[in-house]
Amino acid sequence: MDNLRKKCRFNRNNLRSGKLIGLFILAIILVLVPVVVHNPYYIHLLIMVSMNAVLAMTFILLLRTGLITMAIAGFWGIGAYASALLAVRLHLSFWLALPASTVITGIIALLLGYLLVRRGGIGFVIETLVFAFIIVLVFGTFDVFGGYVGIYNIPRPDPISLPFLAPIEFTSKTPYYYLMLFLVLIVVLVFSAFYTAWTGRAWRAIGLSPRLAESLGVNIFRYRLLAFIIAAAVAGLMGSFFAHYYGAIIPSTFGPYKTLYVQVYAILGGVNFAILGPIIGTLLMTIASEFLRISKEVEPIVTSLIVILLVMFLPDGIMGLIRRGQRPQSPAKNITRVAGWIRAFLSTTNSDSRDRK
Amino acid sequence: MSIILEVKKLSKHFGGLAAIGQLDLSVIETEILGLIGPNGAGKTTLFNLISGLFPPTSGKVIFDGRDITGLKAHEIAHLGISRTFQASLLFMGIPVLDNVFTGYHMSYKTSVWSRLLRMPSALKEEELLRQRAMEILEFTGLASLKYELAANLAHGHQRILGICMALATNPKLLLLDEPMTGMNIREAQTMIDIIRRIRDRGITIVVIEHNMKTVANLCDRIMVLNYGRKIAEGLFEEIKENKEVIEAYLGKEGT
Repeated sequence: MDNLRKKCRFNRNNLRSGKLIGLFILAIILVLVPVVVHNPYYIHLLIMVSMNAVLAMTFILLLRTGLITMAIAGFWGIGAYASALLAVRLHLSFWLALPASTVITGIIALLLGYLLVRRGGIGFVIETLVFAFIIVLVFGTFDVFGGYVGIYNIPRPDPISLPFLAPIEFTSKTPYYYLMLFLVLIVVLVFSAFYTAWTGRAWRAIGLSPRLAESLGVNIFRYRLLAFIIAAAVAGLMGSFFAHYYGAIIPSTFGPYKTLYVQVYAILGGVNFAILGPIIGTLLMTIASEFLRISKEVEPIVTSLIVILLVMFLPDGIMGLIRRGQRPQSPAKNITRVAGWIRAFLSTTNSDSRDRK
Repeated sequence: MSIILEVKKLSKHFGGLAAIGQLDLSVIETEILGLIGPNGAGKTTLFNLISGLFPPTSGKVIFDGRDITGLKAHEIAHLGISRTFQASLLFMGIPVLDNVFTGYHMSYKTSVWSRLLRMPSALKEEELLRQRAMEILEFTGLASLKYELAANLAHGHQRILGICMALATNPKLLLLDEPMTGMNIREAQTMIDIIRRIRDRGITIVVIEHNMKTVANLCDRIMVLNYGRKIAEGLFEEIKENKEVIEAYLGKEGT
């Protein structure tokens, strides 16, 4: 028995160092990409993939706690608008507007979450969906937000001056790419901190069975609110970057369709893998749509087809396939499984009205 | 002999139905109280009310000298009442040890950041709690199954795991909802043994059970519920002769 335990621990350490080496290699490759790839369009694609992957991570974070959010793009937009307004109206530097808009998005999420998170279940889905529609209307209607023409002439980030070297100017895609890599690194660190710590266990417990978690002393409301705020703040961070990267924003970018795409990325990658899943899923979807060169009109059809195929053949996503070295399951069985999840989701999260016995 | 839990004139109505009506109950420290009654008598509802799953319509619950009526489930767990569920409610997709480990939620102090930086204090606390979880598993005899997924356990072991998780919250009062349903005689005997040993650690236990033999064997005192009301209370010998109890279980004479 003791021997076995030693062996297990040894393997775990091995796994950890292997993972570290893998991450290190990945980091080097990512840093070297602009040296090898000169086409700015591909750099642009990589920036968008990183951003969408981070948004997908926020979806999985909330999914872990049993909440399906439709408001990702809404918070992304709040971050973008906050940052754009701070820069254009108050002439704040990007380097201040970025953290400021993250905090602003977090505070708005705190207020909103206080009202929405209490419910959970299908109620939460509908409410966040309503919020997603309303936020686009708010951006479009009020003059502060520039109406439906949006805000343009959003300044680039100020150059970073370095000692002994030429200052880094944000004139090409490459510095944006490195900035994005840096932001992704921070987000991944924050996420893995929360996932490995006690918060992660509490979130998982709530996601697996809210009733049991509650009886073990987990304050469901507080932990869900925390997840809601973190997810929103991270989406706001991405929004701020997006606003200054594009230089102009319009309300319709931040509609609920964006959220649906982000969810597909997350599910394609595999929702059981909170960080690697979204990255893989977003990368594959982007590559696929680039290779297929499908027009914007047809794209939703293709995407929804992918969703249906996913439910039938790969409910655990691409990562689920790799990890388990899978025996394939019959489509019918998978559909039943997903239906079971949905049923469990509907019945467990609505604990107030349903736990009558 | 002090009273640890007192329920005063507790009522719960679902629409027009009184699931619990004007119920009085006292639980004495370190006893094993048996709660019996026909199906639908309101036993589980009583547990749900005490553990805060939903608030009562009227009445009071006093635990350890403190009024806990209307508190949320997680607050009541913090005060020291823990429960198991009738259906084996576990975190099915994760290993046995992790299940018990999650039960230590309330004991955990380390902040998110010190865990990220792998500070020695954080790792030490985790190791300590893991050890304590192991101790509980050894205490109940599940230690050899620690890496097994909860979903893969035999029914009897799942029920024991439910109790392990409840124990991890360090309760003063443990509410067990039919811990022995669906068990064979040997498993039930193991369970009785475990419950007794938990009591010997100074934890008060209220247990819902159907099997009269087990109740007679296990419980110090018995309370009988029917239609949400208390119809009898006392030692098994007293209950056994009670006319109302016999009627509740066997039906009225001549009908």
